[in-house]
Amino acid sequence: MDDYAIGVLTNVGLFSFVALSAYVLLLAGEMSFGQQAFFGVGAYAGGILTAMYGVPLPLAALAAMALGALAALLVGLPTLRLKGLYFAMATLAAAEMARILFELLHFQRELEGETVGPDGTQGFRGIRWIFENGIEPGGFLGLVWGLLFGIVVIFLLVERSRLGMTLRSVGDDPELAASLGVDVDRFKLGVAGAAGALAALGGVLFAHHNTYIEPRNFDIMLGVHSLAYALIGGLGTALGPLLGVALDIGVLEGSRIFGGTRMIVFGGLVAVLLVFRPRGLLDEKVVHWLRTRFS
Amino acid sequence: MSALLEVKDLVTAYGKIEALRGVSLEVAEGSITCLLGPNGAGKTTLMMTVAGILRAKKGLISFSGKSIASLQPHAIVASGIALVPENRLVFPGMTVIENLRAGAYQRRDDLAGDIERLLGRFPRLKERSEQLAGTLSGGEQQMLVVARALMSRPRLLLMDEPSLGLAPLVVEEIFRIIAELHRDGVSIFLVEQNAHMALKVAQHFYLIEQGRVTFSGDPGSLAEDEVIRRAYLGSAKQ
Amino acid sequence: MFLDLAQNTLDGLARGSAYALLALGFTLVFGVLRRVNLSYGPAIMLGCYLATWASMAIHANLILLLAVSVAGTVLAGAYVERLCFAPHRKGSAIAAMVASFALWMQLEELAVLALPRHLYAFPALYEGSPLQFLGLTLRVESGVMIVVAAGVCVALRRTLYHSKFGLAVRAAVENPVAASLAGISLPGVFVRVFAVASALGGLAGFLISATHEQVTPMLGMWSTLKGLLAMMLGGLGSLPGAVIGGLALGLVEAHSQWFFGPQLRDLIAYLLLFLLLAMRPRWMTTQSAS
Repeated sequence: MDDYAIGVLTNVGLFSFVALSAYVLLLAGEMSFGQQAFFGVGAYAGGILTAMYGVPLPLAALAAMALGALAALLVGLPTLRLKGLYFAMATLAAAEMARILFELLHFQRELEGETVGPDGTQGFRGIRWIFENGIEPGGFLGLVWGLLFGIVVIFLLVERSRLGMTLRSVGDDPELAASLGVDVDRFKLGVAGAAGALAALGGVLFAHHNTYIEPRNFDIMLGVHSLAYALIGGLGTALGPLLGVALDIGVLEGSRIFGGTRMIVFGGLVAVLLVFRPRGLLDEKVVHWLRTRFS
Repeated sequence: MSALLEVKDLVTAYGKIEALRGVSLEVAEGSITCLLGPNGAGKTTLMMTVAGILRAKKGLISFSGKSIASLQPHAIVASGIALVPENRLVFPGMTVIENLRAGAYQRRDDLAGDIERLLGRFPRLKERSEQLAGTLSGGEQQMLVVARALMSRPRLLLMDEPSLGLAPLVVEEIFRIIAELHRDGVSIFLVEQNAHMALKVAQHFYLIEQGRVTFSGDPGSLAEDEVIRRAYLGSAKQ
Repeated sequence: MFLDLAQNTLDGLARGSAYALLALGFTLVFGVLRRVNLSYGPAIMLGCYLATWASMAIHANLILLLAVSVAGTVLAGAYVERLCFAPHRKGSAIAAMVASFALWMQLEELAVLALPRHLYAFPALYEGSPLQFLGLTLRVESGVMIVVAAGVCVALRRTLYHSKFGLAVRAAVENPVAASLAGISLPGVFVRVFAVASALGGLAGFLISATHEQVTPMLGMWSTLKGLLAMMLGGLGSLPGAVIGGLALGLVEAHSQWFFGPQLRDLIAYLLLFLLLAMRPRWMTTQSAS
């Protein structure tokens, strides 16, 4: 496989983390424009730990996930009672605040004669742990997709379990869920934290794949894109968001045919698709049909 | 008398649940026809389907011989049918006069004459003509919704439970107005729970239970207490 | 010090007037169709880019440029309305919103393909020197922005309360079912409201571009963000709220920038919105947003 293909597939994997993050919140009935903030938190935290303090990647990733979850709770707690567009705008405001904070973050150290660390809008270079430890692009691709595979398996298992049904019931009819004994508030916070950790994990991997990150990477476009991927791919299964990412980055960018008109094609396709399938390609009905067909 | 409105084998569903399961009935021109039945029988669903708010799954609706089943609600108003809906749907933030004007939206001619005449017919509305509709009493709101429907000069007036929740004196007033409209030549299709008052004014009535018409006749043809029983409770055998 | 405060307030009102115009467009669509149009900014951008092209290709004068901006935005808006909002009228609000986001991408790329540079000059609204009075400076363009915004408010109010169309709009907002039963065509109202919102956007875009004497590819995102922010600050779904939110945003930005600089300016605006939403005073939640 050539480097370009590996790069494209890696990107599909990386952005799937944010798409899954938005997806799990959608299932819980919340539409977030702000998951990119936790992607960014993970990226910066992971990068700082490995590039400035020599922490090995696995440990740094865990720490980044914890920070991502914490940040998600920081946003989720005050906005617990918000619904619909109010919640979406609050997450957007929080994410933009995070992005501006990244722009204001100047935190550098001298390491072996080099200045390493985030430098505001100039970005954060030198996140080279992957290369310094001899991990090839192919190997990294395997790492990303290995993790993703594990996560998707967990999702698929959870979806068929009681936890999954509780999740969807909280999303569809929170009052009914509450009357059946579910502590909706605590549940939603738990989901928010998990979504934050998930996005943060993607962020750590993203930072190490690119070796350079800047605040602009974590802007609103990423956030709304993630939401769109989840919605287009379909809300019936965790494979839906992956499908959404694969369609955009994989098919359109990967095919190289469309060049500068990629968004024109993709945008038009999505709008038309939504007319016929408002809950995405792999929506609940399709997934149900597939399950009954193949079991 | 010819049938102004004809409904044949109408089926309307909410998702998988069929609220109307093959309803057939007729409203003769110039008559007051009444539809009686217990709650949940499908009376409002039928009215909303004829008015175009709900779309029928199967069946025919024709008005003056023309099919109207696939028309949008505003086109149905333009054809000459107006619905006075259940629950007195006034525009609460608009004045009485503005509510009336809204009812005449499809018309292009001068409305002043009609507004004056209607306010004359409903003196309580005249007193409150610049008041916001949301501040009117239940009875006044009911008058307003009837007046608003009349602004479109309909040939057929559909009325969904106009007496619901109103004091007895107000109910009498409503039925007096219904009789007046009948005298003026407006055809009326009336859904009512108040079977006693309805039978006093109607020339023909139908009983609907569980989405189907179970009886059709004129007011003398069934003993009144039998009618009332079935209108509230439905027939024993279901 | 007091003079600085007054100057910043004046500048804030001018900025706020632009934001108010943007917020009005969002609010019209949200208040009547109950939908968020994420393509609003990009449609404005397309209109302004069309005007920029007209300026470069045929040296069109300001009046013509205004007409082109408005027409371009209305056309782009009609395309968005047909593809994103008409099909989902009785369906999902989220699907409509995501579709409008997809078209955001599409329209933005279309504009950038047509005019690829990072910056284009736009003819200035006014070439002379700013007005000076009471020790304050007011650019004529800013004054025009304030006056136009005020004029639009008056015109909207007149239309809403003294025209047949306005009656239909108010009826559709108060009770869509009753409006249909009264013979008002809801699709017809929605299409026309959308067109009015687009026209307002084109007007706002023209004034903004002519005041800054430039257009950039960020115009779409910028308009969307500012418009949404202003609409939410003023309380969702009310036209007066949109104006208040726009002016408030302008004032907050002008004063924050003076004290804290441009980055913190934006941070403070977002923080303000976040805190307001978290505390949810009753005047904010005048309409259901879900």
